[in-house]
Amino acid sequence: MNGTFTKAGLQRGFLAAQPLALGIFVYGIAFGLLCIEARITLAESMTMSAVVYSGSAQVVAIQSVQSGQPPVGAALLGVLGTILLLNARYLLYGASIRPWLAQSPPHLAYPTLLMLGDGNYVLSMKRRLEGETDAGFILGSGLATFVPWVGGTAIGLTGTTYLVDPSKLALDFLLVAFSAAMGASMAKSKGDLPMVVTACLVSIALSQLSPGIAIFGAAVAACCVAAWLSTRVSAPATTEEKAAS
Amino acid sequence: MTLRLDILLFIAALGGVSLFCRFGGYVLMRYVRFTPPIEAGLKAAPLAVMCAIVAPAAFRGGLLEWLALAAILVASRFFSNDLVTAMIGLAIVAGGRAFGTV
Repeated sequence: MNGTFTKAGLQRGFLAAQPLALGIFVYGIAFGLLCIEARITLAESMTMSAVVYSGSAQVVAIQSVQSGQPPVGAALLGVLGTILLLNARYLLYGASIRPWLAQSPPHLAYPTLLMLGDGNYVLSMKRRLEGETDAGFILGSGLATFVPWVGGTAIGLTGTTYLVDPSKLALDFLLVAFSAAMGASMAKSKGDLPMVVTACLVSIALSQLSPGIAIFGAAVAACCVAAWLSTRVSAPATTEEKAAS
Repeated sequence: MTLRLDILLFIAALGGVSLFCRFGGYVLMRYVRFTPPIEAGLKAAPLAVMCAIVAPAAFRGGLLEWLALAAILVASRFFSNDLVTAMIGLAIVAGGRAFGTV
């Protein structure tokens, strides 16, 4: 499969990720409100949202800021270690997206990695399975979630409270619903079952720690199971293998 | 638009960790040979991530969330468009909460 990176692909990704954008925007506002409590300025908050771009990691970071003073010494190391764990899933996202993204020049590939989030990662990989070859799709879908996150942070900093309760609109269920829909249409072969069961059990077991850690642990466990199963000649074909054949 | 140096340094440290995670796996795979087990493992990642987003929500969720996920599973057999399928689930949760169910 030859990779391309076009404006058309970027636009496709941007449009495809719009349903995810509303949820991200609302959580961006919530993060902005947390920044007010931590006495972080608008410029600092937006810089953090743009540079870190990870909800769970930023919440941990902002909670460590006391009256506008960042943590130092051992406290800082503790925060950085926690964020490393929370964001470890991006190591896996980058590794698994490489066969597709590495066909693009580095000046496009690396900014694309900066825009990667949970929602646009699963959306892009699902589209890849359906035949999308344009890596611009990844950047486009990333921008569609990155912009509302930074914009939502800014609006939250103005002290704007919700016009509506996000849970009433089921926005807390948005990513779950999309992941379930994409997962249900993606896993249609018996070969996927061991990985699905492993990921579900491990993520439930780790979910008390944090969603980020649960995703990382579940994905690593499922990848190990898939790698081990691939060494067995009689293993049933997975959806990926069936699609490829 | 105030930017304080200590906060900027803090953000830079956070950004460093973030960059390591975002670029680390991608760069590492440049030096790893794609053997069939590694390829199979990495190909399993997207579905595993989807499961890891859904399973804890289902485990913690109530009847409404279970109903919505069941509807998504059923709908995915009839609709090829994920957006339509997801919206059915969302409508069930939003509708149920609006009417005070569960």
